[in-house]
Amino acid sequence: MTDYVDAGAAIPHQQLSAVKGSAPATGNVDYERIQGARSEPQNWLTYYGTYDGQRYSDLDQVNKDNVKRLSPAWVFQAGATGMQSGASTYSFEASPIVVEGVMYVSGPDGRCWALDAVTGEELWRYKHASPYDVSLCCGNVNRGVAVGHGKVYMATLNAHVVALDATTGEKVWDTTVGDVRAGESRTVAPLIVKDMVVVGSSGGEFGTRGCLDALDAQTGERRWRSYMIPKPGEPGSETWPDDGEAWQRGGANCWVTPTYDPELELLYQGTGNPAPDFDGAVRPGDNLYTDSIVAIDVNTGQIRWHYQCTPHDLWDYDSTMENLLFDAPDGRKLLAHADKNGYFFVLDRTNGELVRVFPFVDRITWGEITPEGKVTPKVYPDEEGVPVHFWPGPAGGKEWTHMAYSRQTGLIYVPVQEVGATATRRRREFKESIPYWGAGVAVDLEDFYGYVAAIDPVSGEEKWRWRNEYPMCASTLVTAGGLVFQGTPTGEFVALDAETGEKLWQFQCGSGHHSSPSTYSVDGRQYFAVPTGWGGWIEGFLPGLLGAAAGDALFVFALPQD
Amino acid sequence: MTTTSGDRAAQLAEAGLDGQNRTALGRVLGTGSIGYAEEGPDGKMTATVRIPEDELCWEPGTLILPHGGDLELTLINDDKNTHCAVLPNNGDPKIIWLVNHAKGTASLNLDGPGTYYYGSTTGNDEGRGLTGAIVIGGEVPDEAKLDRPPQPRP
Repeated sequence: MTDYVDAGAAIPHQQLSAVKGSAPATGNVDYERIQGARSEPQNWLTYYGTYDGQRYSDLDQVNKDNVKRLSPAWVFQAGATGMQSGASTYSFEASPIVVEGVMYVSGPDGRCWALDAVTGEELWRYKHASPYDVSLCCGNVNRGVAVGHGKVYMATLNAHVVALDATTGEKVWDTTVGDVRAGESRTVAPLIVKDMVVVGSSGGEFGTRGCLDALDAQTGERRWRSYMIPKPGEPGSETWPDDGEAWQRGGANCWVTPTYDPELELLYQGTGNPAPDFDGAVRPGDNLYTDSIVAIDVNTGQIRWHYQCTPHDLWDYDSTMENLLFDAPDGRKLLAHADKNGYFFVLDRTNGELVRVFPFVDRITWGEITPEGKVTPKVYPDEEGVPVHFWPGPAGGKEWTHMAYSRQTGLIYVPVQEVGATATRRRREFKESIPYWGAGVAVDLEDFYGYVAAIDPVSGEEKWRWRNEYPMCASTLVTAGGLVFQGTPTGEFVALDAETGEKLWQFQCGSGHHSSPSTYSVDGRQYFAVPTGWGGWIEGFLPGLLGAAAGDALFVFALPQD
Repeated sequence: MTTTSGDRAAQLAEAGLDGQNRTALGRVLGTGSIGYAEEGPDGKMTATVRIPEDELCWEPGTLILPHGGDLELTLINDDKNTHCAVLPNNGDPKIIWLVNHAKGTASLNLDGPGTYYYGSTTGNDEGRGLTGAIVIGGEVPDEAKLDRPPQPRP
C-alpha cells in the first residue's frame, strides 16, 4: 500500500462559506450609553431595548396607515449541521441587538452571528460547542446576547459565559459559571451594567440552587454571586425545613434577564419555581426566594427586598418573567409583573410594597390572591397518585415571553396563554442531573386559547383584547407608530392598533413564534427583526401544537423602498 | 419480546447490527469500540480515529478524554471511498475532507464534561454509521460549582 494522501489539517467550517469574517467597528457601547438607549431608537442596544424592560420604541415610520405595506426585507436562515442537543426542541428565542447597522443575535446550540442589519449578510459567526447530553429542561434555546465594551457576551448551554470580539467574533474570554453535572445550564441573555455582565442560572427542573452572577466585563472574573435560596441561618432560611436538605436543591433559578433602575441601582430579578416543582411536602414553608420578584443591589449582589408571588408553589409557577419598570402619573416608581399564576402585580420598586394585584387571565383555579395580596391555595397535587387539574398550567397565564409598555397609551400589552394542566404527585428521590419534578404532568391538548390584553397598570382595567385561537407564546413589541406587534404559534407576525386592538396586518413566517422581536432603523428606514421557530418547551405551554413545523429563520421587515 | 444480556459485541454481531447491510441498512450508531486519548505533560491530548474499509464507521466509535481542553486528533481513511469529518470545536466546527486512503489532523478545543458527536457529512454517511462520539469526563472547576454539600448522583 502506498503512503496515505495528506489530507492536511481540518479548517473552520465557516471558511467554506460566504461569511465575511468581520463586522464594522461601531461606536463604543458602555454603561452610560445603555442608560440613554431611549434617546437613540435607531439602535436596540440591550435585551429589552432599554433597562426598564418596556420594549417600546420611539420609531414611528411604520404606523397604522402604512403598516399594511410592511414586507420582508431579508431573511436569515440559521440551519444546523450534524447532531445537536435537544435536536427536537431547538427554537429561535432571541431578541436581536442592533448597533449602528450591525445586528448581533444568538440562536440555538451555542451559535451567535453578526449580520448586516440592512442586507442580512453574515458578517461573522461563532459557535460554542455544546455537549449533546447537557441537561435541558426546556429546549435547545438561547434568549440573546449583550453588546458593549467592544464585545458580545453570550451564555451557553453548558453553563459558560463567553465574551467575543464584536468586530471578529473571536473569543476574548470564557468563564465556566455552572455545573453541568448538577443539571445547570445557561440560556439567558446577559445584561451589561456598569463594568459588569449579569447572568442568571438555568436548571430549575433539576434541583439546583438558583443564582445570579455578575462578571467583570473585561476579564470574566466573578464580582459577586447572589444565591436565591438562603443557607441555614441566612435571612429567609426560616422558610425552609430546619433539619432538611431541601434548601440545597430548592430551585429559584434566574433564567430571564433582569430589568434595572440606574437611579436606585437595583436589579429586578424574577426567580423560578421551587424544586421539586409539584411535591411540596418535602419542602414545607414558603420557600424563599422562589417565585419571587427580588431587588438586588447591583454593586454588592445583596438582596434589598423581595416580593413572593406564589409562596410554597405547587404548580411550577416561576416568577422569572420580566419586571417592567414604569412611573405612575403621580411620579411613583412602580414595577409591573404578569405572573405565571395568572395575577398581575404592581409594586413600588423602591421598597417592594404591593400597590395592586389583579387577575389578567380568565381561568384561575389553583387558588386566589386577594387585592391585599393574601394567597389562598385551593387546588394542588397533594395525595400521591391522584391527578389534579388546574388553571393556568405550569407554563402560566404568561410565560417568560415579554409584555410591552406604550409610553403613548400608558397601556401594557400582555401575551396571554389560556392553557390548563393535570399534575399527579409522584414522589421521587433527588439525584443530580435527573429531572426533579415530583409529579407526572400532562398539559391540556384542548380547551385552550390566547389573547393580547391591553392593560392599564394604574387602574388594573383591561382596555381591549385581541383574541386568538391559540395561546400567545411570544413577546409583544410596541412602537410610537401606534402599533403592537405579536407573533403567533401558527407563524403569523401580526400588527395591532395599540389603541383598539384591531388587527391591521399580518405575515405568515412559516413556523411559530417564541422570541422577542426588536426594531431599529438604518439610514432612516425602520426595520423589525423577528426570530421565528417553533420549539422550546412546547409540551409545557402548548402541546396542542407539538406537531407544528419547526424552523429557525430570522425575518426582517420594512416598508418597501419606492 | 425477548431480550438478551451478556457480551455486547457478540450480541451486536449476532443481531447483525455491527456492520453494513446486514439486519439494518447501515451500522447502528454507537456500536463501535471504545478508545482513550493520551494526555501529554502539558495537558494537551492526542488520539487517532480511523475509517476501516467498507464499514462506514469510526474506530474507535467512542473516544474518551479525561477532561476538556485541546485535542490533536489524527483522522485516517482506510476506506476505498471518500468521506469527510465535521468536528465539534469551540468557535466553529472544523471540517476535513478525507479522500480514499488519506490521513489528516484536527486541532480541537472542547469543554468538559460532556458528549460531542461528529460525522462525515456527505451523502448519508452519518446515518450509515459514520457518526462518532467524543466523550469528555471530569468535573467543572470548583469555583463553578454550587455552594452546597455534595449531592447524590445516579
